[in-house]
Amino acid sequence: MAKIELKNISKKFKDDIVIQDLNLTIKDGSFTVLVGPSGCGKSTTLRMVAGLEKQSGGEIWIDDKCVNDTPPGLRDVAMVFQNYALYPTMTVRGNIEFGLKNRGVARTEREKLVKDISEIVGLTPHLDKKPQNLSGGQRQRVALARAMVKKPKVFILDEPLSNLDAKLRNQMRTELIQLHKRLGTTFVYVTHDQVEAMSMGDEIVVMNKGVIQQADSPMKLYHDPANLFTAEFIGTPAMNMINMRDVQGLDIQTAASIGSVGFRPEQGLINANSDIEGYAIEGEILTRESLGAEHIYQIQSRTGVFFVKTFLTPLETADRVKVTVPYGQLYYFGLNGERLRGIETSTKRLVAAGGV
Amino acid sequence: MKAIDRTIGGSPIGAAAEDKWTSIRSKKMILRKALRAALRALNLAGLLALVLIFAMPFVWMISTSLKTLPETMIFPPEWIPKSPVWQNYADAWNTGPFLRYFVNSVVIAVGILILQMLTIIPASYAFARYKFKGSNFLFGIVMVTLMIPAQLIFLPVYLELSAFKLLNTHLGLILPFASSAFGIFLLRQAFMQISDELLEAARLDQAAEWKIIIKIMVPMVKPVLVTFALFSFIAHWNDYFWPLVMTTNETARTLPLGIAKIREVEGVATWNILMAGNLILVAPILVVFFLSQRQIIKAFVYNGVK
Amino acid sequence: MTVWEKLRPYGMVAPAIIIFALFFIYPIFYMIYLSMFDWNFVSPTKTYVGFQNFKDLLAEPDFRQVLSNTTVYTVLTVTLTTGIALLLALWMNRKSFFHGFVQGAIFSPHIISLVSISLLWSWLMDPEYGLLNWVIGLAGFGKLEWLSHPSTSLISLVMVAVWKGLGYNALVFIAGLQSIPADIYEAASLDRSKPWTTFTKLILPMLSPTIFFLVIINMIGSFQVFETIAIMTQGGPVNSTNTLVYYIYEYGFRFFKIGYASAAGVILLVIVGILTMIYFKLLSNRVHYR
Repeated sequence: MAKIELKNISKKFKDDIVIQDLNLTIKDGSFTVLVGPSGCGKSTTLRMVAGLEKQSGGEIWIDDKCVNDTPPGLRDVAMVFQNYALYPTMTVRGNIEFGLKNRGVARTEREKLVKDISEIVGLTPHLDKKPQNLSGGQRQRVALARAMVKKPKVFILDEPLSNLDAKLRNQMRTELIQLHKRLGTTFVYVTHDQVEAMSMGDEIVVMNKGVIQQADSPMKLYHDPANLFTAEFIGTPAMNMINMRDVQGLDIQTAASIGSVGFRPEQGLINANSDIEGYAIEGEILTRESLGAEHIYQIQSRTGVFFVKTFLTPLETADRVKVTVPYGQLYYFGLNGERLRGIETSTKRLVAAGGV
Repeated sequence: MKAIDRTIGGSPIGAAAEDKWTSIRSKKMILRKALRAALRALNLAGLLALVLIFAMPFVWMISTSLKTLPETMIFPPEWIPKSPVWQNYADAWNTGPFLRYFVNSVVIAVGILILQMLTIIPASYAFARYKFKGSNFLFGIVMVTLMIPAQLIFLPVYLELSAFKLLNTHLGLILPFASSAFGIFLLRQAFMQISDELLEAARLDQAAEWKIIIKIMVPMVKPVLVTFALFSFIAHWNDYFWPLVMTTNETARTLPLGIAKIREVEGVATWNILMAGNLILVAPILVVFFLSQRQIIKAFVYNGVK
Repeated sequence: MTVWEKLRPYGMVAPAIIIFALFFIYPIFYMIYLSMFDWNFVSPTKTYVGFQNFKDLLAEPDFRQVLSNTTVYTVLTVTLTTGIALLLALWMNRKSFFHGFVQGAIFSPHIISLVSISLLWSWLMDPEYGLLNWVIGLAGFGKLEWLSHPSTSLISLVMVAVWKGLGYNALVFIAGLQSIPADIYEAASLDRSKPWTTFTKLILPMLSPTIFFLVIINMIGSFQVFETIAIMTQGGPVNSTNTLVYYIYEYGFRFFKIGYASAAGVILLVIVGILTMIYFKLLSNRVHYR
């Protein structure tokens, strides 16, 4: 078990600055997910922790020990790769015990460890097969077993589920969560899929263009985004954004200059009671996606297209609807995308009387 | 149905017309079937002719090798001699020190192969996987070598070997081919295709660099190695030019030279003995070819396409 | 990085590079050097003659014939081998046991020693008792002299070369054809492309890297033809089959005119060098088809 600290980390590839002055503490025993669009530097960060990539500046500490000059094999870090990176010339057993052999673990000890681990991940009947003869899910398990058997301080997983089909991915997701609970080891997980991040992590680090946007628990991230990027990145469909210029009929009491106003699709109420006080938008329903318990509407309004999500309500059949967003559910962002908190809002009475 | 037919056809279609239509169609079908059968027959005949053109010379070689000299001059030819003359093989074998030729051939082809493996594996790995100063220049040397056929420079190499006192020795025939630019080129490609992830996984497994190379990387390029080994062995087993040029006496001469020399020893027209000797040279390669045809074709053709 | 880690790659490439430098790179320069001397190999002194060897060579009618023989031989061999092989490949590009067998059969000459092939064909082309004359006799033709007459000797050698090279070339073409993804044909047929259009507009351009590869490889090979000539004709009759490598061999090892032979070697080097350069130029232009 270990705490990981990244201090003022920067990374350049030739003249391209990928990461600049990054500071991050990964808590001991946490399941931390690094998430962001491709090219945001999350994989690079991860690989620097593993020691596969050398940082251009700054320090990396694992468990109060600076590992800047420690080679990858000695950092006590295990990694599960996106394409599994199983040794195709070795059997499953060979793959799992290769690392143990290199550490000089005795034969009997090795056999016991391999036996234990393959029972945990359910590989016992396949130990003498070559990876090529296994299914995608089984290969994934070999990769996990190979990492686990070394009993590392830190587990690093680089988009490990992206090569699996949807069903298997869900199953492996739950298995990974259970595994983390059981081992209690620090997990660092990289993905570009925010759904995966939200469902697995107990700590999520949102990155964009080499900069950490927000590091928080999933719920905090969802309900209290620190900036426009996080707000739009987390959640499906994404948070609806309206440019401040297009907003009409809102009486906003603030000295700050607002760039845009946003609300989550599930906070929009279709044809709500008139006693609910909120920002009202009229529009025409373009598409209806029904998933059974929930419906997603794509609505064309005067200011652009936005989404509304409803739960356990009958499908709305009318073409033109009025959508109301309670004032408390509106998020405000400054001109540079920063979140503006504590803004009081009410309806501009005069305009409202005229009917929006 | 009828009404619809009529509107679509634009003209009325009666029952009689319909009958005529089907009969035309069936005639056409028969014709087409016949044509297809003819084409298939033609195709088969063509393929057989091809086999004939390529197999006949070999059959003729075997046939001749079992005949007496007068029998070789009889036309129309007897494809299967009435009483096969096995003595021809012994005669061919006794025209020169064939045991020595044979041993020389094996020593040289195997020696070249072993040295090539020892030199091309590390070199191609370094070119594929390490960044080092001057690697472009050094790889340039490999590429230039790849383009120079041995046929072009035999004269200066002969003088060189003669200065080293290596003429008429096994070493003299092996050393110039102790490495292969072609092999390095091929193997480098194979090493480059291995994903970085695999190396990183091994590094996290605390494997030393030499262990990564021997235990993981080399086994992964085994198919390419086998391919190259077949290619190299066959090429040097068959080689006539180089041993001819680099030897002046029998000490290091190889099988192809011995076979070619039968003509000088036995006289020009003793085709039966010549073909018997020829078969001694060809048979091992042909047997190997029929046993691992697929692998050998892959070896040569794949090398061509790459 | 430790010193050892820095030196490791050099250590790994060193054995190969030393072999290449010693037996390929250095000899080239040595040959160019020798081409400017008059030397008989035995005498201790070499006389510097400048470009005299080249002048003598180019003035020599025999050498001019050697150049023309080599060119004729190369052009015929390359066009026939590549052309027929392409047709064969289009015809035989099917995966069945029988096709596999036929492919194996036509490929077999490629792995057999040129010594064997030369001896075998000398026998087949024997003017008196050769099988070939008997076969064309069955078809009603008169006997041919084949290798023994200047008018047919070179073309006979071309025949042998085509016979040997056809299978290899055809199989390389088949491999090239199979590397063209099947959906391109399907797309073409949905676009109602006629077979001929599909061939000229799609297959041929996509096969062009393979064609160039084979043409150049065959050319480089043909320019250095030696074995068949040494065994079947020794350059004769009346110099009609004498080609560059054989010429160099004779001047070097029979007449011991090292400088003169080296000069001929330099000329061959230039020809092969130009061909190789064309090959890489074309390859880099055409590479996007793969």
